[in-house]
Amino acid sequence: MIRTSLRYHRPATPEESTAILVEYAGDVVVLGGGTMILPMMHRAEVEAGHIVDLRGLGLATVTEEGRYVRIGAMVTYGDLLDSDVVAREAPLLRRMAGAITGGNQLRNLATAGGAACYGNPSSDVPAVLVALGATMCLHGPAGERRVPAAEFFVDAFRTAVGGGEFLMWMEVPRLVVEVGYHKLKLCEGSGPIVTAAVVRDGGRTIATVGAASVTPLRFDLTSCVDSGVDTVDELIRDGVVNPWTDVLADGRYRRDVAGAVVRRAVADLREG
Amino acid sequence: MDPIGSAAPARTIALRVNGVELTTPIEDRELLVDVVRKRLRQTGTHVGCYNGDCGVCTISLNGKIIKSCLILAASADGGDITTIEGFSGGEELDDIQQAFWDEDGFQCGFCLPGMLFAARDLLERNPEPSEADIRQAISGNICRCTGYVNIVRSVHTAAQRRTS
Ligand SMILES: Cc1cc2nc3c(=O)[nH]c(=O)nc-3n(C[C@H](O)[C@H](O)[C@H](O)COP(=O)(O)OP(=O)(O)OC[C@H]3O[C@@H](n4cnc5c(N)ncnc54)[C@H](O)[C@@H]3O)c2cc1C
Ligand code: FES
Ligand code: FES
Repeated sequence: MIRTSLRYHRPATPEESTAILVEYAGDVVVLGGGTMILPMMHRAEVEAGHIVDLRGLGLATVTEEGRYVRIGAMVTYGDLLDSDVVAREAPLLRRMAGAITGGNQLRNLATAGGAACYGNPSSDVPAVLVALGATMCLHGPAGERRVPAAEFFVDAFRTAVGGGEFLMWMEVPRLVVEVGYHKLKLCEGSGPIVTAAVVRDGGRTIATVGAASVTPLRFDLTSCVDSGVDTVDELIRDGVVNPWTDVLADGRYRRDVAGAVVRRAVADLREG
Repeated sequence: MDPIGSAAPARTIALRVNGVELTTPIEDRELLVDVVRKRLRQTGTHVGCYNGDCGVCTISLNGKIIKSCLILAASADGGDITTIEGFSGGEELDDIQQAFWDEDGFQCGFCLPGMLFAARDLLERNPEPSEADIRQAISGNICRCTGYVNIVRSVHTAAQRRTS
């Protein structure tokens, strides 16, 4: 039971949603799938007098739009797993969704967009969106605003979402690329310790490392991927300058294992 | 309920619960699990963690299994719910429940809503699951009694009986 007074809003348009977010600024939260925010409200870690449910906005769809796939903010991990378009055009998103713990009972509620907006470093989502070169489409008082995923994640639990704004869509380019993914976790039910998504596009091999640092980190492996273990490990360790520590793992541990996680993602890419 | 005075925002929602259409008053701040248990008295749906970890609050909403502690009741307005009470659709055990019974797939039974709904969800998608598939499918649920071995065996038995 949430112990404080709460008013539920289910707006039918983006404009109406922003109007509510502006009217109750400071006392309002956005409700995505609810899997993070509701337990936090239940424990009184987050208090708000108003909650804006995005379920009325038709944002639970995956569509092909020319050169990109458009993923609505309310698309759940389960929707990603069930989508033929995602399987064909954005297999890395499918891999990511399949690796989310908590069972289908969780994947049928939790959204990738919600995980992005939460900005927890220990999440699978931010690094995958950065690896794919996704664009985050926000709606706010000034209308639509588009932010590249690489600029969206500002700090731990801080994103580019501003006052009165919320995430509407994520646009993921349909690139003909090879991808590899690896996620290190403590046990079946644990959140990620370090993730690595490796994308080979033409001649370049880029790794995006998640959960090791406060925000996702990109590494160009093109020159060192064939020159052996030491070069990759050194490159990654030196690059994790702001390692992330939480209950799951110490930052120094994350920095130390990140190179190995990247190498496994490269191996995954090679094995196809 | 412990209403915070008459000012607490409230509304009436419509649900279909185990095949029965009904309406119920709710407060906006109420989680679906609390409405199911305290207002609809479907107390087979349990509460363990209120955090999405244990799975004992599992129900089916509009054909998809969910943890009902992670959704506001207001968000479920108009929804079609099956709780563990309606799992078999009648008074008899269904085949998955029967397999759990035959294989000693539970002791206290507290975890059964999550285990049974997850097992059914798996078998609908994958009629011949491997042990790894079964363990993956039930991984969103915590059982404090069995050590999981008999649960995995129960799901396996249910699958075998369906395909043989
Ligand atoms: C049992 C369990 C297992 C999990 N396992 C994993 C895992 O393996 N890997 C992983 O990465 N994560 C994991 N998570 C976390 C999970 O990714 C997030 O819970 C989920 O994806 C967040 O999405 P949501 O839609 O539920 O967000 P919500 O709880 O609805 O929202 C989270 C935050 O984002 C804001 N928000 C949500 N949507 C929007 C929007 N469209 N615009 C603006 N702000 C918004 C909310 O206001 C809130 O602050 C797990 C969580 C649980 C409970
Ligand atoms: S009470 Fe819902 S998952 Fe534990
Ligand atoms: S049988 Fe007791 S918790 Fe599973």
